[in-house]
Amino acid sequence: MSASIQRLDQQLINQIAAGEVIERPASVVKELVENSLDAGASEIQVDIERGGARLIRVRDNGFGIAKAQLELALAPHATSKIANLDDLEAVASLGFRGEALASIASVSRLTLASAAADSDAAHGWQISSDAMQPQPSPVSQGTLIEVQDLFYNTPARRKFLRTERTEFQHIDDLLKRLALARDAVSFRLTHNGKVIRQLPALKSSGEKLSRIKLICGSAFADQAQHLDIASSGLALTGWVARPAFSRQQADMQYFFVNGRLVKDRLIAHAVRQAYRDVLYHGRQPAYVLHLTLDPASVDVNVHPQKHEVRFREQRQVRDFLFGVIHRELAGQQVPVAGESLQQQDGKVSLQVGYRQVPLSQGLSPGLGQRPSYSSSAHSPSALADAQAAYAYLAQSAQASGQTAAHGSEPGLDNADEGGREAPGAEVPPLGYALAQLHGIYLLAQNAEGLVLVDMHAAHERVVYEQLKQTYAQQGVRSQRLLVPHSINISEREAAAVEQHAESLQRFGLQLERSGPEAALLRAVPALLAKADMEQLVRDLLSELVAWGESALLSEHQDEMLSAMACHGSVRANRKLTTEEMHGLLRAMEATERSDQCNHGRPTWLQLDMPTLDKLFQRGR
Amino acid sequence: MKFTMQREALLQPLSQVVGVVERRQTLPILANFLLQAEDGNLSCTGTDMEVELRSTHTANVQQPGRITVPARKLVDICRALPDGCEIVLEQQDSQLLINTKNSHFTLSTLPADEFPDLEQAENLQHYQIKEGDLHQLLERTAFAMANQDVRYYLNGLLLEKKGSLLRAVATDGHRLALADLNEDVTGGQEEQQVIVPRKGILELLRLLEAGDDEISLGIGSNHIQVAKSGLTLTSKLIDGRFPEYEAVIPPANDNEIIINRGRFRTALQRAAILSNEKFRGVRLEFSPDAVKIIAHNPQQEEAVEELDVQHSVPTLSIGFNVTYLLEALGALSTEDVQLKLRDANSSCLIVEPGSERTRHVVMPLKL
Repeated sequence: MSASIQRLDQQLINQIAAGEVIERPASVVKELVENSLDAGASEIQVDIERGGARLIRVRDNGFGIAKAQLELALAPHATSKIANLDDLEAVASLGFRGEALASIASVSRLTLASAAADSDAAHGWQISSDAMQPQPSPVSQGTLIEVQDLFYNTPARRKFLRTERTEFQHIDDLLKRLALARDAVSFRLTHNGKVIRQLPALKSSGEKLSRIKLICGSAFADQAQHLDIASSGLALTGWVARPAFSRQQADMQYFFVNGRLVKDRLIAHAVRQAYRDVLYHGRQPAYVLHLTLDPASVDVNVHPQKHEVRFREQRQVRDFLFGVIHRELAGQQVPVAGESLQQQDGKVSLQVGYRQVPLSQGLSPGLGQRPSYSSSAHSPSALADAQAAYAYLAQSAQASGQTAAHGSEPGLDNADEGGREAPGAEVPPLGYALAQLHGIYLLAQNAEGLVLVDMHAAHERVVYEQLKQTYAQQGVRSQRLLVPHSINISEREAAAVEQHAESLQRFGLQLERSGPEAALLRAVPALLAKADMEQLVRDLLSELVAWGESALLSEHQDEMLSAMACHGSVRANRKLTTEEMHGLLRAMEATERSDQCNHGRPTWLQLDMPTLDKLFQRGR
Repeated sequence: MKFTMQREALLQPLSQVVGVVERRQTLPILANFLLQAEDGNLSCTGTDMEVELRSTHTANVQQPGRITVPARKLVDICRALPDGCEIVLEQQDSQLLINTKNSHFTLSTLPADEFPDLEQAENLQHYQIKEGDLHQLLERTAFAMANQDVRYYLNGLLLEKKGSLLRAVATDGHRLALADLNEDVTGGQEEQQVIVPRKGILELLRLLEAGDDEISLGIGSNHIQVAKSGLTLTSKLIDGRFPEYEAVIPPANDNEIIINRGRFRTALQRAAILSNEKFRGVRLEFSPDAVKIIAHNPQQEEAVEELDVQHSVPTLSIGFNVTYLLEALGALSTEDVQLKLRDANSSCLIVEPGSERTRHVVMPLKL
């Protein structure tokens, strides 16, 4: 027996469409609030009852809907946001599908009341899914939508709703994300009549952190580094948490593309790569980032809920994100001209004026411009040529060679004296060494108070960064294999071999496709000559297939260098002279990523005077 | 069990065998020697389940018996006893008493029956060769064995009998060492090919000495056995296929250079000081009438060594891991060595001039 084919009625079509978009109360809130934002609202109030199952009410002060169009607003595939294909290809509004209101109306009792900004009437009009004739409504400006008894006519969906608490949690999370995207809009969220979240509109960009504090907590806000970088049509602003603030779960990762929250694999991967060298395994970075680019170069019409986006210039976006965040985390402290920054990473051009002082926020930027303490002359000579920036320190050391000679006598007083003697001395960010504690920690005094440094961890990072740099300068060495190693792989991986053979060769890996499902390994990176290359090649290829690129080779090389760094750095219980301690502190200041050791643990800690005073209950 | 021996007479077999006993054990009995006293002989056996060593020496046996005792403790005690003293070892219940005139020790024991036996070495083909020849064969090749490589068949040495030729080959995938025995080997099977695990080879190198004593080499399908006076080493074999090594050896070509081995070696050693500590790269630059060895390290320091030699190599610059070159040169004994090269991407063959008995192949490093 077979049923005859028939056209579905409109209500059913809408309900099917609702299945895609309206999954739970939070999805309704998302659609409605996005509509409000698209309507230019500056105040949005969301009232929820019983987790959204009984009532969802969204009130805004946007430009509203004219009386004549109310009915059309509830019709499927009706929207004011786009009119033709060109609009769709360059969508700048959050919504555009014209499905949301119709879908919601098909699975709930919906009332839409609106007063258009340009109408003369003193009151608005309302219609509801039951009564399609516009009735007068007391609403004054903007739009008010009430969604009652969600899923009343689709019992199956209703059964899948979680507890009131969980559903509200979803709504709250969602509103947090929307609020992070729109600083200039005030949000207010109530549940069962109680105000849960009240986020005032932010007037100036300086206040931005205050909203982040309200949403992500002050721990994040304290550890957040601001960035604001634009280059070749891409602009990235927002905050990334220092690696010391990492999370067990990926629950504090907010990424907005043109104001739209997305959960995109490409983006997540790029950010994770940027954090690779400073987070230990399994930890998740935290960030709130806004990427702005030409709407025409991003396709948002990929996913019904618009979680995923597609970039026209995928590679460019990836490289931009990686480059910017990576550099940010590296904490370029010594302000060298943009030119040399570009040399290190040709992809990213940093705007002048972007500068970070990661070591201590309290200090004015431009650390390297002031004469530095002279002891750097005593630090390992490799340091000096390791970094262009560091050359400056070395120069100033030579200039005040007299001071250096003087400072070489050990002793605490001497160290202090040496510091004061430096011409126009200001205390360097990590201050002057005072002493060594139990052969493990180094105590130093800076402008804020006491600095504690984990000697081994800090030196390990310094040596590691030097090694990475010198190896990068030296270029790749490749060891040829006596017998080419045949590796069986999948056909897709074999295709990836063909595609990426050239870029792999730049890493010293010579890999050729030798059959439909086989590849021949002819040469391996000299640094990894003793590694299990077959496994590495397999992992590498699966990453290449999945992401179109892989950092696995450099990861493994970094691991090797990290191990070398560990052996090459001072161990605990090694007695350091004051001069050596100064050398380490100055080297840390000049080293990228020196805030964390190779394994992501912090290398130093500041105990400032107020904290110390508190400990001793001074001045109370 | 009870026997008496001179300290030196006892120490000799014990210290020969102790090398095979691993320092860290999961099976306690593997840390023990098996001592067997009978018919005026003491035999001492140590094993790690892969290689077994047995040394036999005459002893004054008062009461025959078998027992196992902690190997390293027994050796340490014997070593520390004064020269020339008489040692009496006597089993008493589950303990072994070690007595000299003034020193007395009691060691715990484990029953001899629990001592693991390498499966009976069967179907061995025996060859008589000179001890010194075998030692040289291994010495010239063993260094190129891989260590803990995932390609398990490289963690050992290929022993091959082909007609009357006995050949040893080792490679770690980057370089290869091949040596043929000086003299013909008669008897046995026409063709045999086995891979002896690394540890067995290293033990053999330790035990064999230069000299013309005849020793017996037995090669079977699962075991190899080497017996010299009073000492037997049995090793299991690696079950795997060794790479087709012959394809790797470059065919003869015209680009040859004969160079004084000692001078070349010391020059490389000096240059190596400034090579990269991890992959030890050096560059050989051939120009008419001269060869330059150049090394750089990550600190941009440089070493340049110049050697005046006549050669037929066209202008060529080729990189190598200097360790591989040095080890290959160290495994040759003539005054001069001959290098055969083709281009910067092809392997280099190092031989003794006019002889192909020992061949070293080193793959270049792309610098």
